[in-house]
Amino acid sequence: MHSLEVAPTASTTEAEQVLNPPFETHSQLSQLPTVCLTGAPNAGKTALMNALTGGSFHTANYPGVTVTLSRGKSKTEFGPQVLLVDLPGVHSTSAVSPEEELSCRVIEGRHDSVKPEVLIVAVDATQLERHLRFASFVARQHKPMVIALTMMDLLPRAQQTVNVRKLENAVGVPVVPVDGRTGWGAPDLMRALHRESEVGGSRQTILANLPDEPVSAYKTIRELLAASGALKKNNQFLLARDSFTARIDRVVLDRYFGFPIFFAILVGLFSSIFWVARPFMDLISWLFSQTGHLLIAVLPAGALSRFLAEGVVGGVGAVAVFFPQIIILFFLMTLLEDSGYLSRGAALVDRPLAYLGLHGRSFVPMLSGFACAIPAVLAARTIPSKRERLLTIWILPLMSCSARLPVYALLLGALLPGAAWKAGIALGVIYVSSLLIGALVAGLISRLILRKRTASMLAMEMPVYRKPLVRPTLRITWTRSSAYLKRAGTPIIVISSCLWLLSNFGLGSHQAASAEGTRAPLVAVSDLDHSFAAGLGQTIEPALHPMGVDWRVGVGLISAFAAREVFVSTMAIVFHVSEAADGKQSGLLENMRTATFLGTSKRIFTTSSTIGLIVFFFFSLQCLSTVSVVRSETGSWKLAGLQLLFYTGLGYILSSGVVTGLRFLGVD
Amino acid sequence: MSLLDALQNECYQVEGIAGPDEERRRLLDLGVTPGEELAVVQSVPFGDPLVVMIRGMRLALRKREASWISVR
Repeated sequence: MHSLEVAPTASTTEAEQVLNPPFETHSQLSQLPTVCLTGAPNAGKTALMNALTGGSFHTANYPGVTVTLSRGKSKTEFGPQVLLVDLPGVHSTSAVSPEEELSCRVIEGRHDSVKPEVLIVAVDATQLERHLRFASFVARQHKPMVIALTMMDLLPRAQQTVNVRKLENAVGVPVVPVDGRTGWGAPDLMRALHRESEVGGSRQTILANLPDEPVSAYKTIRELLAASGALKKNNQFLLARDSFTARIDRVVLDRYFGFPIFFAILVGLFSSIFWVARPFMDLISWLFSQTGHLLIAVLPAGALSRFLAEGVVGGVGAVAVFFPQIIILFFLMTLLEDSGYLSRGAALVDRPLAYLGLHGRSFVPMLSGFACAIPAVLAARTIPSKRERLLTIWILPLMSCSARLPVYALLLGALLPGAAWKAGIALGVIYVSSLLIGALVAGLISRLILRKRTASMLAMEMPVYRKPLVRPTLRITWTRSSAYLKRAGTPIIVISSCLWLLSNFGLGSHQAASAEGTRAPLVAVSDLDHSFAAGLGQTIEPALHPMGVDWRVGVGLISAFAAREVFVSTMAIVFHVSEAADGKQSGLLENMRTATFLGTSKRIFTTSSTIGLIVFFFFSLQCLSTVSVVRSETGSWKLAGLQLLFYTGLGYILSSGVVTGLRFLGVD
Repeated sequence: MSLLDALQNECYQVEGIAGPDEERRRLLDLGVTPGEELAVVQSVPFGDPLVVMIRGMRLALRKREASWISVR
């Protein structure tokens, strides 16, 4: 149980420090030579990373980098250990997304903290021409390099054969065939890597002498492959029409079935996020509340034990309860991505989204936004143009994230008592409206504010369909989920602990005198009604009048900045719901129904004020973790701060407007 | 003629690429170079984007991008 309060500015700075911790193990890891894994997107880099590190890699925020990189130590059986860093895939070394720009900076040795000694270039054997051109960009930096030839298993499907020895002679760089998904070839790759790092990158390779200009570069590569006999292939167009991939594409991109299939997949994804996760979420919240009770029972009574049990354990529980949803989201997204469907989905919705000033790829962040805005903001990285990426990030807080669900459940329960189906329909309306209003905001901003059209391209590769492998998918899911937990969890725990302190301590002079004669201490343990939080709530009470609520709800609204669902537990505290009673939710609803403004008989939760609160939660950006992630993703406080003010201000104005309007129409 | 007028599943040769410098360069980087063979292999609902097979890769191109590519 936590209810609380804190000045937003102070807590965001704190959250920021926690979000970007000093690079703790950097000194220890930096003694190992750094090896960077590069390549074009879809070259199989992540699977390779998985094979080389034995699955133990972590995401890390390098200082001065907005993009998170995965890194890990190579497996010990591969000889002397190296530190492997997985760089984002690069399509083109000219017009680039932030991810691509980072990779290019590291490869060219212009990055301050990531300095590779050897580079591994993942080259898709079925796409030699394009991938070798990227490899030539790497070779021009004259660093030791090895080519990891991936997707060898797809060669028969593409009706091509590649002769590895001849290819190696043709390009003048070691070429090692490897399958990251099974680990086949990984020891050979590491051996070649160690050999190459001793030789150094000084030798002149054919690859390094390829021209930079694309037309002549592609021509030279084709001639090189033909002359050396490294590549033999059949007519690709015949193949294109009848291949496995073409047959699936004809169904999933069909004029009539394309969208129904797309929506069916989305509905499936959503149902799993909400219904499959449900029992796990209930279990987790039960475990945390039991842990809290146990701590209270075991530890000596006092403020410290209550702080541990309610503030800390409660704060951890507030984050952990969403973990099952996040794991399911990441797992299914990774499956869709690895299978190749995700890029088809992006192609399908590109046109309607482009109309709103967004990009086909915006659909992945928007979808994730319905679970949590934090992974959604991170997912926006793959959008190449800055304008579309920022616009996508801008509308993400509107997507109805799952932290709002408990709040809506409570408020709809108060608004529509006794009719679960009505509340269900209302909830559906809220979810669909959040998507529509997001679209409206994006459309308005791109039409009215960002009118100057800047470079924006789709030009997106659609990889062949492959059966995703379970183990690497689970591994990647775990890496992404735990990174989320660290990123979102730390600020939530810190903020909710601070808010607990504020709502359980108050000025000593405001407390009931404990013993005759003793002077009251400056700060003392307090019940909520006399705490700092209550003081703050009372201070802002005049601002809450237009919304039709009193300071106690205000305390709830402020505490919701730690995480929106904290509103519910704060309501339980401020309206004095007894813990012992079974069915706390119904107890809370009962207390809310009878709650009146102090000293009057005027009810607080009327139809109009409850609708007003729903409107407020719909728009308001009550999530300091999101603000902090937007800051780190955009590299400045400007957009993050503007977003916080815009949405919270909009929520306040619209909520007050709705309450005033309804009361004017005679709805109390 | 423009790639927009190309028949589905017919093989064409890229003649030239127009368009703003940055976008043109990106298309060239992706391997859409003059002389290269390509075919429109799939259309998407709304007819936009279209899916082109070039250099053994499926590439989704918006109509706007496809209009810059002339083929024969």
